[in-house]
Parts: sequence; structure tokens; C-alpha cells
Amino acid sequence: MSDPTAATGLPTPAARVKHQRKLSNYLLDKSLQLRYILLVTILSAVISAALGYMIYDQRRTASESIERDLQALTQADSSRQEFEQHVASVLESDDQALIYKMVAVGFGLVVILSAYLVIMTHKVAGPLFKVSSYFEHMADGRLGPVTPLRRGDMLQDFFGDFKSMHESLRARASADVVVMERALAALRTAEGDAAARGKPDQSLDEALAALDHHVANRKKQLA
Amino acid sequence: MNAKSADRSYKRSWKNLLINKRYQLRFTLFMVGLSAVLMVGLGIWVMWVANETTAVSMTSVRGDACPRLPSLHPPAGDPEDRVPAPSMHLEEAPEGAAPRAAPRAAPRTPPTTPPAAPATDEPRHVNVQIDESSMTLTTTLPPDLADRIAAHWTCELRQVATFDRLERGRRRILWAMIATGLALVLGLALYGIKMTHRVAGPLFKVSLYLSKMREGRFDKVYNLRKGDQLVEFYDHFKLAHGGIVTMQQDDIARVAAVIAAADAAGMGPHPAIAELRELMARKEKSIE
Repeated sequence: MSDPTAATGLPTPAARVKHQRKLSNYLLDKSLQLRYILLVTILSAVISAALGYMIYDQRRTASESIERDLQALTQADSSRQEFEQHVASVLESDDQALIYKMVAVGFGLVVILSAYLVIMTHKVAGPLFKVSSYFEHMADGRLGPVTPLRRGDMLQDFFGDFKSMHESLRARASADVVVMERALAALRTAEGDAAARGKPDQSLDEALAALDHHVANRKKQLA
Repeated sequence: MNAKSADRSYKRSWKNLLINKRYQLRFTLFMVGLSAVLMVGLGIWVMWVANETTAVSMTSVRGDACPRLPSLHPPAGDPEDRVPAPSMHLEEAPEGAAPRAAPRAAPRTPPTTPPAAPATDEPRHVNVQIDESSMTLTTTLPPDLADRIAAHWTCELRQVATFDRLERGRRRILWAMIATGLALVLGLALYGIKMTHRVAGPLFKVSLYLSKMREGRFDKVYNLRKGDQLVEFYDHFKLAHGGIVTMQQDDIARVAAVIAAADAAGMGPHPAIAELRELMARKEKSIE
């Protein structure tokens, strides 16, 4: 999760673009997504393979039974052996075709299922990725506005909790900035009055300058 | 998600496995539903083929004809299976007795004779002439009759047993698939809920902290439980939490410096300083 703004709708100073889903960043959280994808895909493959084998086995048993009976019927008559061989080869090719069909269907199922699961898990990994990127900003003390999730994303409740917390922090930090700015202005006035009376205070002046700088920084962080 | 009941020594329990129903059920039901659809779809195919195979095998078994049961009253066209009727050889009646017996025996014989009985070398019925003294019956049954009857019924029973075995095999496949399907669905449901709980758990925990942060409390953040997923995500959250705590500490440090300088300059009672003191107290309390 190195470039949070690349794949999500995170606000950047330049422009807040509504980001679309891209094929290249569908696997945002590999460990989370691949775990589920592999589990479901392997499970489906195992079920399909086991039942597919049962189908083939039953078909082959029926074919062998027919072949055996035909062989017994045509044993005494050499003129019908060709017919028996023809039927046997047709049955065998049918059974082979069944294998190919089942393998193709199984492979298609695995591919389609994997693609669908990547999209499905992306709807969970996407919001987590977006919240993670906001967490990174918060770690730097930046509390910019939060944009909503994309349509179809999951974890809306969780994101709602996060957004509510973020807005609360932002509102509280803004209120604190207002308090500090107001105090700063009042103390500057009072300091000016004291200086006019001939009692300038160097340390207060430095502390107020530092607070002023701090408030300016905080405003930038809240922008 | 209920963010009210925060507890850092939170243990896994069956009671609270479903903590984010929407997310957990969606993923679990997808997995279970897909497996069920595959099992039912392919299972119907398996049973269809199994029914065909059973029918083919039964036809094959029926094709191996059993030796026929020798009949005492064979139809006209089957001389092989014909069992000679018991030949009853009567000792010659003494002269003078026949004229007496014949008129009585003759009207009785027709009802005992089968109407469709063909004419054969040997009579289909026996004319019995009652001798006053004795009558000798001599049977002419083939010597292998018992063996042929036994062979016929052994074969018939073997065929019935084969049909039973085939039918049992077919039912065994059906029940095995139903049992496997049910076990799979139940197992997957439990596993799915448990697996998604490892994702929902950390989200729930973060939600609890988010709720506290919304109220302006920045308590210590504890680690995830063993086996939980989203470890990286949780690390990001801890960094964010640390960043907010640092912000509060920076604010406190700056405000404290101003208050100290104002106190030194004799401006402690100024209303702006009182407001800053209040701000600092609130911030200090939030990071306790």
C-alpha cells in the first residue's frame, strides 16, 4: 500500500478525481484476496473433479458393458465383428469427448470464478486500502476531507464509522485552531499594550511566534 | 458493529463469530451456495449417468438367459424341454374285466385331459384300468431334472441378486453424494464464518477505537489476537492513532509554552490564557 492516491478517490491538492476501478489494481491486498480466491477456486475444482470422475467412471462402465455384450453376440459371426468394433470405437470416442468437455467446463469455471472472486474481494480490499491511505495521512497529522467510497464497495458501515471519526477529529482540530488563533490575537494585543507601557517580554513574544507558526501548520494540515 | 463493548482481552467465542453479518454472510453464502450448486448440478448428472449405467448393466444381465425350467406340460414347439409324462404301465387286465370297466372309465377321462395338449408319442393322460388286485406306476422322468431345475433357479436368483446389487450401488452413489453435499455445505458454512471472522474481528476492534477517537479519547491501542488477518491494515491504524496523539502532544507543548511565558509576563489571569488552560486540560485528558 505505497501509493494510496493512485487507486482510490483520495483527495489530492491538485484535484479530486473520481477514480474508476482499473484492472491493474484489482489485487490490492494479495494476502486477503488470494486466500479467499484460492480457497473457493480449489474447492470448486476438487468438487468438479471428483464428480466429473464419477460421471466418467459410470459412463465408461456402461460402455464396457455394452462392448462386452456386443462382443459376446458377434463372437460366432465374423461378419458382424466389424460392426462391433465400430460401436466400440464410437463409445470410446464419446467417453473421450466427455473428458474433454468436462475438463473444458472445469477450466472455464475456475477462470470465471477466479475473475469474479477478484472483483468481489476487491470490493472489500478497496475500502480497506482507502482507509489505510487516510490512516497514513493521519499519521503525518494531515486531516483533509474524506471522500465517499465508490458505488458497489463493501464495508460501508465500517467506512461510515471511520468517516464519522475523521470528521469529528477534523472539527475538533479546527475548533482548537480557532481557540489558539483567538488567544494568539488577544495575547498579541496584550503584549503590544505591555510593550507600549515599556514592558516588552521576549520569551512571550517567542512563545507566541512559535504558536503562530504551529497554528499556520495545523491549518495547512486541515486544508 | 457495536462499538460500545470494548474489551482488550477479547477472546474468540462461538457466540460472537458473526460480528459483521453483512460481510461475513455474503462471503460465506457465496462459497456455500457455489459448492451447493456444483454438488447439485454435477450430482444430478452423476445420477443420470448412474441410472443409465444401471439400466445397461441390468439389460446385460437379462441378456444372459437362464436355462429354462423343464415343464411337465410343455408347449408344442419345445420338444427339448418336454418332460415325458409319467408312463404308467398297467398290467394287462384279465379278460372279462375290461368290458365292465370300460363303460365307466370312458366318460370320466375327457375332463382330466388338458384341452390344448398336443398329440405326442406318449399319451397325455393315463387310462387307468382298475385291477382288482394291483396297479404299478413306472415313472420315466429324465435323470437330470432336479439338476436342471436347480440350475434354473440358481441362475434366476443370481440375476435377482445382481439386480439388487446394481440398485444398491446406484442408491449408494445417491446417498454418498447427498451425505457429502450436506457435510460440505455445513463444513464450509462453519469454516467460512470462522475465516471471515478473522477479517471482521480486526475491523470490529478498529471500529471500537474509532468510536473512542470520535469522542476525543485516544487510549492506548492494543495488538490483534493471534491468527487475525489485516495485520498491515491494523499497523496503519496504529500509526494513525499515534499521529493523532502526537498532534495533541504538540498542541499541549505549544500552548503550555505560551501559558508559561504569559505567567512569567504577569498575564496569567488574561481570559485568553484561561481559555488556553482549558484547551490544554482537555487535550491532556484525551491522551491519558
